[in-house]
Amino acid sequence: MTAERRGLRWLLASLALQNLGRRKARSFLLIAAVAVASGVVFTGATLMRSIDRSMAVGFTRMGADMMVVPEGALTNITAALLTVEPTDLVLDADLFAKAQLTSVSRAAPQKIARVEHSGIGSHHESADLIGFDPALDFTIQPWLVEKLNRDLQPGDVILGAGREAPLGSQLLIFGKPHTVYGRLGKTGVGTHERGVFMAFGTLDALAMSMGGHGGGSPPAVLQPGKVSGFLVELAPGAAPLQARFAILSTLKGVKVVTGDSTMSGIRQGLAALLDGILALMVLMFASTALMICVLFSAIVTERRGELGLLKAIGARRSQIVGMMVIEAVIATGIGGALGVVLGTLVMRFYERSLVYYLENVGVPFLWLDTPRMVAVAVGAIVLATIIGALGALYPAWRASRSDPYDLVRGEG
Amino acid sequence: MLSCLGLRKDYVTERGAVAAVAGIDLQVAAGRFAAIIGRSGSGKSSLMAMIGGLSRPSAGSVVVNGTDIWDLTENELAAFRNRRIGYVFQFASLLPTLRLIDNVALPAMLSRGPGRNGDAGDTYARASALLAQMGLGDHLDAYPSEVSAGEQRRAVIARALINDPAMILADEPTSDLDEQTEIEIMDELLAVNRERGTTLILVTHNLALAEQAEQIIHIARGEIVE
Ligand SMILES: Nc1ncnc2c1ncn2[C@@H]1O[C@H](COP(=O)(O)OP(=O)(O)O)[C@@H](O)[C@H]1O
Ligand SMILES: [Mg+2]
Repeated sequence: MTAERRGLRWLLASLALQNLGRRKARSFLLIAAVAVASGVVFTGATLMRSIDRSMAVGFTRMGADMMVVPEGALTNITAALLTVEPTDLVLDADLFAKAQLTSVSRAAPQKIARVEHSGIGSHHESADLIGFDPALDFTIQPWLVEKLNRDLQPGDVILGAGREAPLGSQLLIFGKPHTVYGRLGKTGVGTHERGVFMAFGTLDALAMSMGGHGGGSPPAVLQPGKVSGFLVELAPGAAPLQARFAILSTLKGVKVVTGDSTMSGIRQGLAALLDGILALMVLMFASTALMICVLFSAIVTERRGELGLLKAIGARRSQIVGMMVIEAVIATGIGGALGVVLGTLVMRFYERSLVYYLENVGVPFLWLDTPRMVAVAVGAIVLATIIGALGALYPAWRASRSDPYDLVRGEG
Repeated sequence: MLSCLGLRKDYVTERGAVAAVAGIDLQVAAGRFAAIIGRSGSGKSSLMAMIGGLSRPSAGSVVVNGTDIWDLTENELAAFRNRRIGYVFQFASLLPTLRLIDNVALPAMLSRGPGRNGDAGDTYARASALLAQMGLGDHLDAYPSEVSAGEQRRAVIARALINDPAMILADEPTSDLDEQTEIEIMDELLAVNRERGTTLILVTHNLALAEQAEQIIHIARGEIVE
């Protein structure tokens, strides 16, 4: 109605819009097809990135594929985490560095000392002091839910989820001041829940103070160079059984503890699922682009007369192509947006069961944060319009090459 | 001034090449009214399309005011069709999804282009004046399907005039209309030729009408016959 004021672009765009309205059923099907594709891409990408992030956090939390401890040590295995129970047995801290096992990609040493009268918590409470090597650790730091805005320093401690103390506050351990550097999320593992974590150096430095408190000699594990055990991550592709054998035959006086073997199966399964989703998305993209190309070839053929007429009254090729592309972009843009809405509804609908399932298998599910979700949504819509533009471009460009007379006559 | 030299159009079909226009030389002075007559299938429409820049000749040239239009670039040719030629087709040729006023304004809008100088309001004022002049002042906002065939043809003439072209090419513009409407439409075209000095080339079966032309071009089997 307002081409008088808005000019040619508006006129061509409204022409495109009205052309869509002319074949309502066909436009509806086109929009529906694009909506399905964009919905799949949107939900796929969102779930993929969410699961990816959850796995990145979750599996490094679970982290270790196996644990190497002194023969005779007690161990605690849960679905979520392998921990070493405090004992007096120790191993050398450089055990793995020396052995150079090809089937092991990472081995994080840990020291665990169970102490009483430390000044942490109530008077008789025993507390687990857990030492780790910040450079090698891959099972503790991923649990950090909040931390000071700097690197871990000597004298810093990290508290398990079960302990309350503000970040940056002072904590006296055996009379020595420590700074609360960070707090872990809920692990579901008792020793960790109420544990106090610190770098090896910080823990070793406590040995002196412990002795001074009349508790007898400090635990053996607090000697520099000694650890309670190692959390081991296998090299990609390494078979657990062979790795276990290699470790036992190379390192003396150790015991190998493996976690729940179904875990690694699920881990692999999820990775395969993500690859599958990715392949599906690529296929979806390609087939939608082809479908739109075919559809627009038909639309262009059907409209040769009008395109010829436009050329005859002086429309340039770019204007003809532009008009068809706008038409496609409007349709696929609507379809894309619709797909995002549908995808969101579907995800909301299945959120409970999905999150429940994942958490059941030990993956704490983390949704993408809103800005990222919006970015994925915008990405899906833009992708849809790009597919539309590309799909319409070729047939429109081909038709625009013909002589107007051939177009209006229905030939060429 | 229009001049065609050695103009040919061969169509390649399954049954071999068809020489629709088989070597035509012809001149029409500016401001003239020329009539093209000939039997159906003699090549009149093919000739008109080559003159109007709608169909590339197989051979020969079409020179309008010193420019060989088939030597122009794609965009220059589009501008030529847009500014210099008003084409009235043999068939209904309005865009069905646009109102009459939009249809008439469209050629001017196309050449103004986005961002160019000139006011869309101006263009629409001219379009509505032209429609009023064609007796369609009450139907500016109507869609083509809402008016009669004769009224549609008048709107096409209004569209042909919007950019004030040098030449109107009308290919049997009234073949599908009743006699009374045909007379009215022809009167409009002749008036444009007389009052504006626009060159008019008209293909017609109506010999009485052709008699009124200053120049009669008779075509048979793709060639001019005397
Ligand atoms: N696009 C085309 N392809 C093949 N043959 C064509 C085409 N256009 C026209 N012809 C043939 O060329 C001849 C001239 O056609 P046309 O120029 O339409 O004549 P007229 O307008 O005088 O009826 C006819 O034999 C027609 O069948
Ligand atoms: Mg004809």
